[in-house]
Amino acid sequence: MKKEKIVLILSIVSVLMCMIVPDVYHTIAYAQSSKVSDEQLIARAINGEARGEPYEGQVAVGAVILNRVASPNFPNTVAGVIYQPGAFTAVSDGQINIPIDPDSTVVKAARDAMNGWDPTGGALYYWNPQTATSKWIWSRKVLKVIGKHYFGK
Amino acid sequence: MGKAREKLLDWKRRLSDRHMYSVTVVIVAVVALWGIYQYKRAADLRQQLDNQYNRAFYEMVGYVQNIEVLLMKSMISATPQMVAETLQEAWHQANLAQTNLGQLPVSQEVLANTSKFLSQVGDFAYALDRQNINGKGITDDQYKQLEQLHQYAVSLRDALFNLQASISDGRLQWKELAREGTQFFKKQSQNMTTQLFSDVDKTFQEFPTLIYDGPFSDHMTSLKPKGITGKEVSVEEAAEKLKKFFGEDKVASVEHTGDINADTLPAYNFKITFKDRPEGEFATADVTKKGGHVIWMLYNRDVGQPTLDVDKVKQIGKEFLESRGYKNMKDTYYIKEDNTATVNFAYEQDGVVVYPDLIKVKIALDNGDIVGFESKGYLMNHTERDIPEPKISEEEVKANFMARKELKSVGLAIIPTNFGTEIFCYELKGNMNGKDFLVYVNAETGKEEKVLIIINTEEGILTL
Repeated sequence: MKKEKIVLILSIVSVLMCMIVPDVYHTIAYAQSSKVSDEQLIARAINGEARGEPYEGQVAVGAVILNRVASPNFPNTVAGVIYQPGAFTAVSDGQINIPIDPDSTVVKAARDAMNGWDPTGGALYYWNPQTATSKWIWSRKVLKVIGKHYFGK
Repeated sequence: MGKAREKLLDWKRRLSDRHMYSVTVVIVAVVALWGIYQYKRAADLRQQLDNQYNRAFYEMVGYVQNIEVLLMKSMISATPQMVAETLQEAWHQANLAQTNLGQLPVSQEVLANTSKFLSQVGDFAYALDRQNINGKGITDDQYKQLEQLHQYAVSLRDALFNLQASISDGRLQWKELAREGTQFFKKQSQNMTTQLFSDVDKTFQEFPTLIYDGPFSDHMTSLKPKGITGKEVSVEEAAEKLKKFFGEDKVASVEHTGDINADTLPAYNFKITFKDRPEGEFATADVTKKGGHVIWMLYNRDVGQPTLDVDKVKQIGKEFLESRGYKNMKDTYYIKEDNTATVNFAYEQDGVVVYPDLIKVKIALDNGDIVGFESKGYLMNHTERDIPEPKISEEEVKANFMARKELKSVGLAIIPTNFGTEIFCYELKGNMNGKDFLVYVNAETGKEEKVLIIINTEEGILTL
């Protein structure tokens, strides 16, 4: 009798926990992400997309974002480009909200990109050849390969 | 198989026991409630998202409609002033339409041409507007172009109206919009026939750092690099040039890691390691195939505590550039970040600062190493220019300019425009109400061409 009561209480509590815990996590993530400036936004996007890539690859992702801002085919602000629906997987799955490791080079990479360094020579797109599912992306002209990514226009 | 049956029978037996039975019922009920709660929450969130997409879509349709009307009005108006006002408004509406276009859940490649059309309407309206402000009316050719743009605006508007109506009595589900929207925009993009202008998007946002900022770094619209000299070089020759660039005695190895297929500056990509540096540290650089010029270089190493002041750093940069063959470069602005200083250098010809010929040098503040180099501006634009005598005198410019402002210095400069051209100007640095600023006055017409506000921070001089 007693054992079953305990099992019952535990199961109810664990189910309630499942309902509450996800909410709390999302609240925290939103509060942090609302304070970011352009540099931070770009750094977070790089963090989400190219965390393990070589430094050149990180600057390249930042440069692609900025090239898109300048291009007439894309939105005209950094936030507009990054948050364009479907543009970056790191935004769609929430990785952009991961706080940046203070030892990470992504902020430096974002700064270099904002200061004009463009290792890609003007690329507007990049994709991972091993995970890219869209057929269309392969019709883009490949400008350069850096690490795991192809950069193209 | 046998064990599973046994387990099932055992479970059935236990179920018959009243207590077990009620416990199971309660658990199932709780899980069901949880399931309903989660489902409802998901439905709420999706509704909120739907609302956002709906809003973006409806706003965009509204703005496109306005653009069509305004283009029509501008063709009807007779006075340059009215035309200017109308086109200004059309430009504004095109910006708003484009912002909302970028919020739709339709994949980007399909939206590209519609987005481009909106940019072109905006750019064209802006250019005509400026022209009108200067008193010049629309030429016949431009009128024809205006007609074409208007035609396209009409067809886009009509198609959008149909899309809006055909999707369930005005209420759109984002899933449907994504599916219908993709088909729709694909068809639209096939209808786009004429390429009216090159890809210059004037409405990009300006960043508050001078180094990258709109003023003198975003002028790469000319496609032919003017500053590239020399013949095609092989990979080995390029690697040799790179060694000399860093200093032969410092370089441990140079590895060719790939090529860049850019249209304007095809290049070789290299990875460079240095002697007496920790394992795993390296620099990357791109070297042009024609002439073996270094386009850019980045050396991402840990930088220790800063020991150099900015004046020393500027000197190091200038000496570096001179020794590598970039003569007469003058430092213009700098920014300090992460214990490094990035200094902007512009070419100086006969006392005139030529901003389009831009090189940025990044110097480590612990020991003066060059850890970054960027010369795309220089390679695209550098030539010896025919600089005329200014038609307006310095006194005249100072006199016209002095009211309510304090003048700090006057000089001559060549600045790039958003249209890929260059203007020869007086550069006046002044101060008003505690804010430093720069004004560029055309040295041939006396017209004010550009105004920049200087933001001085601890980290460096920025302009906006």
